[in-house]
Amino acid sequence: MATNPGLEQIQRWMQACIQYQGGYEEALTSEAAQAAIPAAEARNVVLPSKTLTPMERLDIYRDMYLLRMEEALSIDFPSLKHFLGDDEFMKLVARYTAAHPSRSYTFNRFGDHLVDYIASLDDLPKKDFCHALARLEFALTTVFDASETPALSPEAVRAVPQDAWETARLKPIGPFELQAFDYPVSSYIGAVDEENPFPRVGKKKTWVVCYRRNFHVHRMNLEQPAYELLRALASGQTVGESIVSVLTQKWRPAVKQSLLFDWFRDWMSEGLFQAVELAEAR
Amino acid sequence: MANNRWGYPDLGFGIGLRTVHFEHILQNNPKIDWFEVLSENYMDTGGKPLYVAEQVAERYPVVAHGVSLSVGSKDPINFDYLRKLKDLCKRLNARWVSDHLCWCGVTGMNTHDLLPMPYTTEALKHTIERVRAIQDFLERPIALENASTYLEFSVSTWPESEFIAALAEEANCGILLDVNNVYVSSYNHGFDPKQYIDRIPKDRVVQMHLAGHTNKGTHILDTHSDYVIDAVWDLYRYTYQRLGGVSTLLEWDANIPTFDVVHGEALKARRFREQEDARKEAPELEEVPAYGD
Repeated sequence: MATNPGLEQIQRWMQACIQYQGGYEEALTSEAAQAAIPAAEARNVVLPSKTLTPMERLDIYRDMYLLRMEEALSIDFPSLKHFLGDDEFMKLVARYTAAHPSRSYTFNRFGDHLVDYIASLDDLPKKDFCHALARLEFALTTVFDASETPALSPEAVRAVPQDAWETARLKPIGPFELQAFDYPVSSYIGAVDEENPFPRVGKKKTWVVCYRRNFHVHRMNLEQPAYELLRALASGQTVGESIVSVLTQKWRPAVKQSLLFDWFRDWMSEGLFQAVELAEAR
Repeated sequence: MANNRWGYPDLGFGIGLRTVHFEHILQNNPKIDWFEVLSENYMDTGGKPLYVAEQVAERYPVVAHGVSLSVGSKDPINFDYLRKLKDLCKRLNARWVSDHLCWCGVTGMNTHDLLPMPYTTEALKHTIERVRAIQDFLERPIALENASTYLEFSVSTWPESEFIAALAEEANCGILLDVNNVYVSSYNHGFDPKQYIDRIPKDRVVQMHLAGHTNKGTHILDTHSDYVIDAVWDLYRYTYQRLGGVSTLLEWDANIPTFDVVHGEALKARRFREQEDARKEAPELEEVPAYGD
């Protein structure tokens, strides 16, 4: 390696030092850093100031790196951070950042792999609950950033002929995520966000639809039959097929017809659908 | 009146558009000259931030300021990013677009930091080529901001101020002169901040930044978390004497107070300029000999 490293060597070296999690001596001798500049020469790359050594100056950047990553993930996964606590969350961030360093110009994509990463861990406390919590928080951020689509208006709903509903299809809005969980994670987020009582974090089947209305992100907790019905509709089945698929299952208690009307009324008033496609129009 | 070669106007005194102020701005239409939007916050979302930015852009002049252009990086230029930036600028009718003289990452990674350049001739040539390509793609000049830096490379052969001036001349780009960053870097590296300002070509400066910082004793961190300190106001006054009226923006990104507090801090810049104008316009009094001379 030349005594005067070039731009590329300097950038590769500095990035390797910044991303290395450990003391600066180890950072300088790390494989990635030495691939750019050997440790013996690396001590001369940065000038000292009147008050700081070269390595202390480099540490300013090294220290800020993980803090910035932690801040980004804590914005998207605040309840996961609350559940794990500051120290455990920071440990998770450090491990995740090492495994999946940011490769995008935006922090919006940084958390894209966190759900799968949590699933791959063997030693995270209450991993299954954390995984479910992260999955719901990721769904909420997805809904937050999704493209805006206008919701179906009451006039458009009224304009559908009565006998056309059976073969009609309802198209969900863009900011729409339907999720099923083995833990009460929506209640947990409610406790963190809205200061509701914290639920027991033991296993409990729950179903949630996340959506955006007037640019505000909402969660609606669902009963299982309502979730199944909404899932059938969102998958492109007709209204008739979706209802039949729900009514033919042996629910305990049975789904009453009046309940179906209540669900549809709630979903329409919350603006969960952007269009109704009639059979003739398809 | 514009002092820069592109005729970009002096927009007056603005602040950065921040989430905590969204509701206040939409509901109250505060009287403010202009806003700067952080480009990356509005490029990959179809949600509320973009909606608010569009509302703001209908009511106020808007400038797009980025942190991920990574203009000095040895990685290939990210044209996907540039395409989205171009679309955003069109969507918001951005008066101009700016980013930083820095690099953010290499080998496809992004540290999301404004990392310092080695000020070498090799780095200068590399950055000139990239700025030219970026400007060709965006079909407009960009303005590059002097970033706050915490270390210097031993290979550097140019003072930062001369490097950025040469870059602006050769690449034909603008300069976003961050007065606080000049102060922060001068403290961290021990150079004369006024000499730095003196080396900046007047006709290249399209905008200025002001901000608060955190003095750690051994060094200063550019935290944008407080009021502007007096020494930075003095440097702003000096810069105004040298460069004249340039669109000025107050940055406040951590521990953000109410809109009125942030805007009030921005308006201090107007008072400094008015005081300076009054001083220049006041007739010079003839020196009267003291009694007995």
